[in-house]
Amino acid sequence: MPNSDVQISDPLVKKKAAQRPGLFSREVALAGVTIFTILLFWILYPTSFGNFRNFSAIVRNLAFEGILAIGMMIMLIGGSFDLSVGSMASMIGVVTAALMKGWNWPVPLAVAGGLLVAALGGFLNGFIVAKVKVNALITTLGTMGIFQGIALLIGGPGITYLPESFSQFGQAEFLGLQSPVWVLIILALLAHYAMSYTRVFRQFYYIGSNAKAANLSGINVQRLQIVSFVLMGMLAGLAGILYASRIATATSTLGVGAELQAITAVILGGASLAGGRGTIWGAMIGVFFMGLMKNVLIISRFSSEWQGIVLGAVLVAAVAIDSVVNRRQSP
Amino acid sequence: MDGIRKSFEGNVVLKDVSFHLSAGEVHALVGENGAGKSTLMNILAGVHQPGLGTVRLRGANLTIPDEKAAQRLGIAIVFQERSLFGQLSIAENIFAARQPEKRFGRIDRERLYEEARVLLKRTGLDEDPRTSVEELSPAQQQLVEIAKALSFCPAIVIFDEPTSSLTERETQGLFGVIRQLKASGVGVIYISHRLREIFQIADRVTVLKDGENQGTLQLAETSTDDLIQRMVGRSLQLRHQDAVAAGNPIFLEVRNLSDPKSVTKPLLKEISFNARQGEIVGLAGLAGAGRTELALAIFGVRPRGTGQILVRGKQVEINSPTQAIAAGIGYVAEDRKEGGLFLEMTIAENVAAACLRRFGEFRLNWCEHVAVAERFRKSLRIACRTTSQTVQSLSGGNQQKVALAKWLLVNPTILIVDEPTRGVDVGAKAEVHELLYSLSRQGAAVVAISSDLPEILDISDRIYVMREGTIAGELSRRDAAEESIMRLASLSAN
Repeated sequence: MPNSDVQISDPLVKKKAAQRPGLFSREVALAGVTIFTILLFWILYPTSFGNFRNFSAIVRNLAFEGILAIGMMIMLIGGSFDLSVGSMASMIGVVTAALMKGWNWPVPLAVAGGLLVAALGGFLNGFIVAKVKVNALITTLGTMGIFQGIALLIGGPGITYLPESFSQFGQAEFLGLQSPVWVLIILALLAHYAMSYTRVFRQFYYIGSNAKAANLSGINVQRLQIVSFVLMGMLAGLAGILYASRIATATSTLGVGAELQAITAVILGGASLAGGRGTIWGAMIGVFFMGLMKNVLIISRFSSEWQGIVLGAVLVAAVAIDSVVNRRQSP
Repeated sequence: MDGIRKSFEGNVVLKDVSFHLSAGEVHALVGENGAGKSTLMNILAGVHQPGLGTVRLRGANLTIPDEKAAQRLGIAIVFQERSLFGQLSIAENIFAARQPEKRFGRIDRERLYEEARVLLKRTGLDEDPRTSVEELSPAQQQLVEIAKALSFCPAIVIFDEPTSSLTERETQGLFGVIRQLKASGVGVIYISHRLREIFQIADRVTVLKDGENQGTLQLAETSTDDLIQRMVGRSLQLRHQDAVAAGNPIFLEVRNLSDPKSVTKPLLKEISFNARQGEIVGLAGLAGAGRTELALAIFGVRPRGTGQILVRGKQVEINSPTQAIAAGIGYVAEDRKEGGLFLEMTIAENVAAACLRRFGEFRLNWCEHVAVAERFRKSLRIACRTTSQTVQSLSGGNQQKVALAKWLLVNPTILIVDEPTRGVDVGAKAEVHELLYSLSRQGAAVVAISSDLPEILDISDRIYVMREGTIAGELSRRDAAEESIMRLASLSAN
């Protein structure tokens, strides 16, 4: 086969060539659709849609799912996933609330305690998947039920009237955005950096792409799988705590359905269930797009039943288009 | 079967290639990867349509719109990559979607198994058709694939690299099947990189290079060198020239390595062998003799019962690939797609995979990635547009070079290569060999596992022959010949 000798000497070109390949990527396409939707509704509903308060409301509502989506994206890149995140968020919210109300622990200690329980729960998931070798779907389906049950056992329907020293953080605002949104932004930036530039996190791309080859290349697959579950558990726990802080109430059923929302968001944002694909900023666009769709449906006075229908259709359409385009690129 | 002639427009993959196959003939098709062999066969199988040219079967012009039509016309393909359903039985695999039925669409199991048994007998596979396919060895699975092709009562059978996972004895068995087909008037197209096999089995050979026919020859009128010259357009030096001093220090020593007693099927028993600095040690044996298992046990993937591993005379503790790499051992996996490469990642990322630390812990250096990959691209002559393209877009030989580059970057003292040239064309094969030589010249110890006997004889300084999980014998370069290896490899098996 003739070898076309393309010499790359320009350092700028070189740097660009070093980026991950793929001219058509789902995240770029989704960003385009998102901008288009914003412009369209800005024109259609200039007063109710196009104002800062509405945008602030959109991002406030997606802080919770956004934090879950960061973890979920890392899981999917590594070729795994976690269905127990919604229950985990509920359970950790309730556990933290119980520690500060029932046991009268000081707020920082209660939060630390909650995060510790979250890490243990994540470790349990990771250990069963990586060491005992039970399929991740089955393992986390099981722990999803367990965590939800524990949340209901401890909290009943929920724990209300949490101390003000706890709720003031979640309700604080800075530059017009509530603190959970800022937490999301900081976490997303950190995760983006980690997935792009740190050795430990880059290894998830290798594991998701080919776990056997990763193992034979000296990457400690089992340990990293456990790490990803622990991280996911702690992010879910943090999301639950922040939500409880914002509404000063730990609801035991807060996270019902959140796992599927998070998986939907990251797949929209470019992840694949087969692993090895996806970026953190893709996950963020996925989450933002979902929040935006809910918002515009409400503003254009569709009943809430339409949310599931529209988002479901968009999800399948996005993946289908991607699959068709990719097939055409590689004959 | 009278004549095929076609050419492609647009992306010119085949330029006016003519190919004739007579009934009862074995016609070999050779060429480097990317020469157009697969495209030509895919046209015949109905996967692709020719841009120009005609296909004629028994003198009549015809078009083959899809695979089903090809099957109806009696054209069957035995693919290089097995396409079996692992958990289903042999019989169900052979008759996938065509099971004989009783009334109400119930599957007629008795007839299914009976017909399967007849087909298996023709291929020489002695297994119950109810056995599930995943219990079979790769070679046996290949025979199931052949039985499946025979079930269509074909007039033409295409074999695409059928022997790449077969041992010598199994290959001879396959040749028996092919001769039977030939005797019954079936036309056989035989695609292989192994020229020696072609001289054994084929009547005529057609050489393709860059989509052009380089000539159709009677095998009696040609030679290996002639074929290689036509395939690559240059002659290749295939022999290992170095003589290695036997007095070099021992780099890898394995003492009394056995599988743990607790596993269900212990295979490895009391294995001891060594490899010296600057030496290429061959591990020969039949499939299932335990060569890959031995490599995995040394590399810390397969649990070990008893036994010691010494690197440069010092005992090392190896329980994971990470520890093996730290001890200076590298392992180029048997199946590059399964255990070697990250197909949808870039060449640069693949090359970096086994030593990510080198590129920075917290500030990954992408430029360094590319620079390193570019270096290997030049030195190994990896044919690609850029090192940022994905590995899956490369040909088999270039993929294997990337898999090797990953370990060259680690620069291990001991490199174990498992079937380093499986499914690789002649040109790339010689380059891989050259690479192993230069590695040993630079002072590494190379352990080469291969089922390709001429290859083992060609590259090894010393050969160990394995049989049923033990070392059956050791041969020096001078004493080793195909016969002596085969005798050791199959002594008690017969």
